[in-house]
Amino acid sequence: MNDFLELTIGALASGCIYALAALSYLLITRPTGIINFAVGEWSMLAAFGGFLLLSKAGLPYPVGIAMTLIAMFLVGWSTERFTVRPLVERGAPPLAPILALLGMLVVFRETVSLAIGPDPQPVPPAFGFGRLELGPLAGSYQSFFIIAVTLAVFAAVWFFFERTLAGKSFEAVAIDRRAAALMGINLRRTTAFAFAGSAVVAGLAGLLVAPNVSAHYLMGLPLAIQGFTALVIGGVGRVEGALLGGLILAFVEQLTVRYAPVPPGLAMGVPLVLLILFLLVRPTGLLRAREASS
Amino acid sequence: MRQLLGFLIAAVILSAIGFMLGSYQTDVYRKVLLWVTLALSYNFLFGIAGQVAFSHFTFYGIGAYAIVILIFQVGLPLPLAVLAGLAVCVALALAVAIPATRLEGFYLALATLAFAQLFIVVLDEGGSVTGSAGGLANYRLPDVFGLKVSGPAYTSLIVLLMLATLAILWRLDRSYFGRACRAVRDDAQAAQAMGVNVAKTKIIAYTLTSALAGIAGMAYAFVDNTVNPPIFGLQNSFLLLFMVIVGGSGRHAGAIVGAVLLYLMPLVLSPLIGHHHALVFGVFMVAVVLFQPRGIIGLWDWLTAKRLRRSRAA
Repeated sequence: MNDFLELTIGALASGCIYALAALSYLLITRPTGIINFAVGEWSMLAAFGGFLLLSKAGLPYPVGIAMTLIAMFLVGWSTERFTVRPLVERGAPPLAPILALLGMLVVFRETVSLAIGPDPQPVPPAFGFGRLELGPLAGSYQSFFIIAVTLAVFAAVWFFFERTLAGKSFEAVAIDRRAAALMGINLRRTTAFAFAGSAVVAGLAGLLVAPNVSAHYLMGLPLAIQGFTALVIGGVGRVEGALLGGLILAFVEQLTVRYAPVPPGLAMGVPLVLLILFLLVRPTGLLRAREASS
Repeated sequence: MRQLLGFLIAAVILSAIGFMLGSYQTDVYRKVLLWVTLALSYNFLFGIAGQVAFSHFTFYGIGAYAIVILIFQVGLPLPLAVLAGLAVCVALALAVAIPATRLEGFYLALATLAFAQLFIVVLDEGGSVTGSAGGLANYRLPDVFGLKVSGPAYTSLIVLLMLATLAILWRLDRSYFGRACRAVRDDAQAAQAMGVNVAKTKIIAYTLTSALAGIAGMAYAFVDNTVNPPIFGLQNSFLLLFMVIVGGSGRHAGAIVGAVLLYLMPLVLSPLIGHHHALVFGVFMVAVVLFQPRGIIGLWDWLTAKRLRRSRAA
């Protein structure tokens, strides 16, 4: 039992990172139907933003984080403006923006590897490397910080979608693009903000995980795979699904590494098997999207 | 008849080139041929049948590993090993295709991406069977019916493989099956209404192209005489997709042009600009999708149409 509690905080923290990556996919997929494989690369960009501003320039933590996230907002916005919008306006097939974003993945990754170099770089955690014990639950400061920030982000996003007019317009676009446009919702602005918001969330995931894994130009792909696995488990339709999916994935992963009698290398295959199973058995995920009628 | 003659002439010329090359050039030439073979079958799967699958390069790997394991660990003679390896590819492709082709668009992409990653995990953990992270090496192609096939002769074999793949796909594209594939790609519901068996068409297209990739993989196994996990990673699956798109998806000529261009580009560019070639590659990809969605072959069509119009006007 103690063993299990020991594992809990760590699993919760990595589950939160997966959940943020899943949320980043969801924010774009839900209103536009586009899967953005470059989400992991956005996290990588933000992690390097953290390295430059926090480790190199030595800015205070909140300032550095805020500046990085503002930069990510611009990255997301301009990605949409220059690679996705021209294709959508030309009436290109739905696959075209996905392929363009796949190309951007290479552009982001290679730009960083050329500009900063291929070596891993340190990014500081929020409150140093200490360890906090809350009764039987114990974990690093950073783990607790990740959990708190993620819960705050999900609460804010949930509030945005459920309680504000702008959020409702996102949901309307997701349910029926045409009808939403006819009701006077600005599709262009909604799409642009979906990308910008997605880049901020992905950036946050990158900044939070970077102290544990270091900023590295290849860090994007594993995060991207874990993110969409979490997304498929939880369901692409609901914000809560991303959180649920992330947590389930992390616990399954950690529990197999800890308890299952398989070599640790094979345990890496567990999320993949989980992904395949969910795709085959329940491709809508655990939580279903709202329908237009309800 | 004219087509057969064309294929024969191509076979003679392409094999003759193989006899004129040094060892480094031979290596590059064989790999270009193999990439073209792969791009041709991937073009059928992605461009003509419209399935966004990331598993094609994985089947190349499965073919390569299968033949090496079957010959040197199971101890089968070469012809039997080729057949058994093919059976392995077909069985695995069916196992993936029957459930996965029910999935729409991105879900198929995600499922095949997971399958591709899973393959790498299995290779890394396969112990002495797959040689784990180091892979398998130090083996040579056994004699075929007492003949030692190596050097230019082996290059000719790859030429024949490439042309056979092209011929099969060419014929298929112009058959009922090819038209059914295009119909399913453009509108599955409409195709169903017209009496096309959508599920069967998708499964056959996936299994057939994956088996062709597997055969190309068997040929690859004796090019470098080593197989290891990094070769068959996701990076190359993406590269294959980029080749078909840059060349012009849905067109055999496009796949050939794309494969040759994108395989040779890093070789030409890296001495000039070092690692920047990867960046050029990404920019190139985005530019093609944005400005020339029908690929290089689309540009060629446009140029010839323009010349035709001008000659008519004159």
